[in-house]
Amino acid sequence: MPAIDNILKQLNEKFSADIIGTETPNERRLFVDIKPDRVRDISNEMIVLGGRYMVSIGTDFSDVDGTMQLIHTFAFDNDNLLTGIRMSVPADNPAFMSITPDIPSAGWSEREYMDLLGMKFTDHPKPKRLILADDWPEGVYPLRKEVPWNLMPPGAEDVAYQLDECPEGCTVVPVGPYHPALHEPAHFAVYVDGETIKGCDYRGFMTHRGIEKLCQTQMTYNEVPFIAERICGICGSVHATAYSQAVESAAGIPVPRRAEYIRTIMLEIERIHSHLLWLGVAGHLIGFDTVFMQAWRVREHIMWLGERMTGNRKTYGMIVIGGVRRDITPELRDDILQVVNKIEKELKVIHKSIIGDTAIHKRTKGVGRITKEDAIRWSLVGPVARARGVDIDNRRDHPYAAYNDVTFDVPVFTEGDVWATLLVRVLELYESFSIIRQLLEKMPDGELLTELDAPIEPYRHGISVVEAPRGESVHYVITGKENTPERWRVRAPTYPNLQGIPLMMLNNQLADVPIIIGSIDPCFSCTDRVEVVDLQSGNCRVASKEELETLSRNYRDGR
Amino acid sequence: MWLLSKIKQVLMVIKPGVVTLQYPFVPRPAPANFRGIPYWDHQKCVGCGGCAGHCPARTIMIRDICQELRVMVYDASRCTYCGRCADVCPEHAITMTEHYELATNDKNDITETIELFMATCQRCGRCYDHENRNQIDRLSRIGFRYDNLEMRAVIPAGTQQIDTEMLKKTESYKRPERVGE
Repeated sequence: MPAIDNILKQLNEKFSADIIGTETPNERRLFVDIKPDRVRDISNEMIVLGGRYMVSIGTDFSDVDGTMQLIHTFAFDNDNLLTGIRMSVPADNPAFMSITPDIPSAGWSEREYMDLLGMKFTDHPKPKRLILADDWPEGVYPLRKEVPWNLMPPGAEDVAYQLDECPEGCTVVPVGPYHPALHEPAHFAVYVDGETIKGCDYRGFMTHRGIEKLCQTQMTYNEVPFIAERICGICGSVHATAYSQAVESAAGIPVPRRAEYIRTIMLEIERIHSHLLWLGVAGHLIGFDTVFMQAWRVREHIMWLGERMTGNRKTYGMIVIGGVRRDITPELRDDILQVVNKIEKELKVIHKSIIGDTAIHKRTKGVGRITKEDAIRWSLVGPVARARGVDIDNRRDHPYAAYNDVTFDVPVFTEGDVWATLLVRVLELYESFSIIRQLLEKMPDGELLTELDAPIEPYRHGISVVEAPRGESVHYVITGKENTPERWRVRAPTYPNLQGIPLMMLNNQLADVPIIIGSIDPCFSCTDRVEVVDLQSGNCRVASKEELETLSRNYRDGR
Repeated sequence: MWLLSKIKQVLMVIKPGVVTLQYPFVPRPAPANFRGIPYWDHQKCVGCGGCAGHCPARTIMIRDICQELRVMVYDASRCTYCGRCADVCPEHAITMTEHYELATNDKNDITETIELFMATCQRCGRCYDHENRNQIDRLSRIGFRYDNLEMRAVIPAGTQQIDTEMLKKTESYKRPERVGE
């Protein structure tokens, strides 16, 4: 464990008076308990030693020992090591030093705990409300133990979020919450000088549902994977896997090798479908609907494959703690190979026909460009970071499931614009095909599930990272009593990437806003109704249920 | 370069042609492993409540009307079709069907209610062995469950969360009439 020894040696040399204790559950995890006074210096030291800031976890332990705990986590990508620095303060005055002035991507995590736990952060550059609704009453902190999980305070009419001050001579252009080019409820106030963007403020979290609170109070360990799967409509398996791995790592539950292989196959199938979806959406956002139609036509085959493998197009429901639920039979194995070969062939056709298209080049090259230094400073992850020359991929750096058994390339580009993110995603698709083939070839026989025979010990910490199609998902679990996690923190890849959006937009054109936001991968759902349009008069009306029913019945009967 | 790309794109579009399915005019059967609406076989169900204990969406509710009668209600309007109930059922009484066209304007179409006599075995007519080998005891599901069938709310057993107001509303429960009467 040279990396752990080195970090501990450096920390002990400089901060020996502030370190209370250390814990190394295995050679890939390190937890350091510190006194809260010098957290800023110690966090900076972690960055100097080669750490990459991931996320902070705040927990209310007021019913256990009367404290509130804050954990900052750092990944050491070159050493395959995940670390957390933990500190506790009395629950009646939870004040910490903010680390945001030095590590800007910690800004949202800290604002989150101002909202949810009532923590105070001194020197925070932007201590505004982030998560809670604007009419949520002051002084009610929903993640605290004394607040019931189903609390519904009455709404208020006359409150609104105060956007940042508009720069001198600029005009505000609101984008969202409902906007034709933005498929998710988030509000960007874009400050423009003419057509050029000079700044941006973000107000999001409009669909915050309190899943963490729900699962910490109402759900049992093995029910949470199914909730986790519904955090994201695109990368469901990623969240279920990350949560299960965090619990398994905290409780020391072994996972059968075959189950890990099946998990990996599901993750790669999900990556294929997600990247194809993104390719289509990106084409749609720049007004190139041919790509949209063709990418989604190809993607449909992977959805049908998912249906045959797991019983559902999406939200596969394959993963539970300790393993998976369904096996890959020899027939399914041939089916997967056939579909993968077919998609690879089709993708090559799409790839060749769009790669030289000047329309795409003009809309994406040089758009949303930021430097590698900024990408590292803002802790960007996934294809967004890899397009900016940051060579990180958790599948290679922190191998989980069966990724240490396969070989693959990590495409990295230095252009730093939207075009490079497009290339990264298309090239990753080819790697996914190769990974699935390797996995199917090497898959061992064996059990699918380790049955839990003893209760999971409370207050153990588990952290797991999974490379989602959009980047790195981090799940942190503190085990609890009564078959329920004490704390479950989810950090989706969009969380750090969205924080980098204002920087990506700076000095770009207003017309490029949709593709810049789209380049970090949005997900959307839409509903539509059937409308009947009278061609002669131009009137339109919505068909009733009875009409549609008779229409479809008659059609089916051939009448 | 530009023209070449456009020619390639035209070929890419023409080759597959129209791929749109004619659904719903042409039915599209679900594959064999599909997770559609679950089906309860009341002949096999022993009322252990394992499905209710594992349902992540809390769509399966149990109410013990009296010592002998246990009512189980499944309400698909909130179901996520994960299939955990079918996984954990010790008697294989639950199967995931391939029905997915479930849109309806009457909630009762997708609600299933089972009433079970609990003191005697449904299949052999003998009493349970309550002392040693009782599966229900092992599942820690002894005692009454007070789930609110009208409000579709699960009330966890063995806690202090039983709301007396809520309980009052469930007391007016009427047995559904028999089919055909």
